[in-house]
Amino acid sequence: MRYGDFTPFDIVLLLQGLGVSLALFVSTTLIGLFIGTVWAVIRFYRVPVLMQLVTFVAELLKNSPVLVQLFLVFFGLPAFLKINVTPTEAAVITLSGNSAAFIYVIAVSAIESVGRDQIEAARVFGLTRWQILRRVIAPQATAFAIGPLTGLLVNQLQVTSLISVIGVMDLTKVGNILNLRTLKPFLVWTAVGLLYYLTAKLVTYAGARFEKRLRAHTAWKGL
Amino acid sequence: MKFDLSILAKHIPFLLEGAWLTLQACTLAVLGSLVLGLAIGAMRTSASPLLNRLAAVYIDIFRNIPFIVQLFFFYFGLPEIGIYIDAFTTGVVALSIAGGAFTSDVIRSGILAIDPGVIEAAQVSGLRKITIFRKIILPIALRASVRPLGSVFINLILTSSILSTITLNELTGSAKIVASNTFRPFEVYFVLLVAYAALTYSVSILIGMLHRYLNRHQEEGAV
Repeated sequence: MRYGDFTPFDIVLLLQGLGVSLALFVSTTLIGLFIGTVWAVIRFYRVPVLMQLVTFVAELLKNSPVLVQLFLVFFGLPAFLKINVTPTEAAVITLSGNSAAFIYVIAVSAIESVGRDQIEAARVFGLTRWQILRRVIAPQATAFAIGPLTGLLVNQLQVTSLISVIGVMDLTKVGNILNLRTLKPFLVWTAVGLLYYLTAKLVTYAGARFEKRLRAHTAWKGL
Repeated sequence: MKFDLSILAKHIPFLLEGAWLTLQACTLAVLGSLVLGLAIGAMRTSASPLLNRLAAVYIDIFRNIPFIVQLFFFYFGLPEIGIYIDAFTTGVVALSIAGGAFTSDVIRSGILAIDPGVIEAAQVSGLRKITIFRKIILPIALRASVRPLGSVFINLILTSSILSTITLNELTGSAKIVASNTFRPFEVYFVLLVAYAALTYSVSILIGMLHRYLNRHQEEGAV
């Protein structure tokens, strides 16, 4: 048997890579959602110092290449702080931070989309700040944010492919290995591209479904 | 470890060489994606269903597949079919193709935002189709989409860092070399991060100025 041929096991390998990519995508999105929302709330309450810091960090993260951020965390931090960082840890830290920066922007504009008068009305009714955030702003802001968020997530899914450069065994890395072994770049990269494409379509579809459900109360129901 | 930037001083000329390569690649890719984006954007808004569908497929594919996968597809795939071009050309072509998909979306929405009355007036005046497109549609659409085009191009600059994975020693690639020569990855990548952020930030300021200059005849307070 020649080692240059495709084997049925390659499909398992590809699916494994897809699994790693998806797991990292989902976990970093959740962490990013949490951090980004916290940042947006800090801005909403106009916490001094912290607010400026958040704006600065978010700008820096948005305006620099993810690859460089990844190198900084994976090569830079261990050398600087004398700690060990595994490729997966570096990937989780970088992607979460990067997602958080973009989610922060979406969350801020979503919060601003809720009319000032509503907040004033809620205040007149004697709701506490937390109640206003939780009961008045959050539901409407979420419905507003889902659209841009879906677009962002499709983008972030593609950004996860960069972690292959620091040696995480994700879909792109598997593609690289298969490519080097079989020397059939067109087949390998088409398969990898197709898997990414299908996943991106799935994210778009899920986002559209979710948005429809959140906006159900505003939909025209007929007289 | 101490944070010591002076260690980078003697590597600055080498880094500037990399920055020069980045600048060249980005300029060519911006031009390439603008040309492609105009063509695809015109196809996407044309009356012919075939051209329209073709453009939609193009945009769909290149927006939903990670850039690094596209890059590997071209870099490893092209020699397979007997096309031998260097990493720089491959990188610029891949960047233009991917950037073209995003650019065409911006140009399409710019075209769709034109008041139909303007186009009808041009048609009634007996202008040829090509003249209407060149003299009326394009100037209005491009002027309106300077800002969104700018953010696409800034993204292109950030994406160009991925070219370092196909052995092209642009800014990120040469920083990688400096980091492994000096054993000070944290300083190197930190400076690189700030440099990219400063670069994209100044580009966005330039774009804001261009936008204001091109739209100076618009009424006050117009968006």
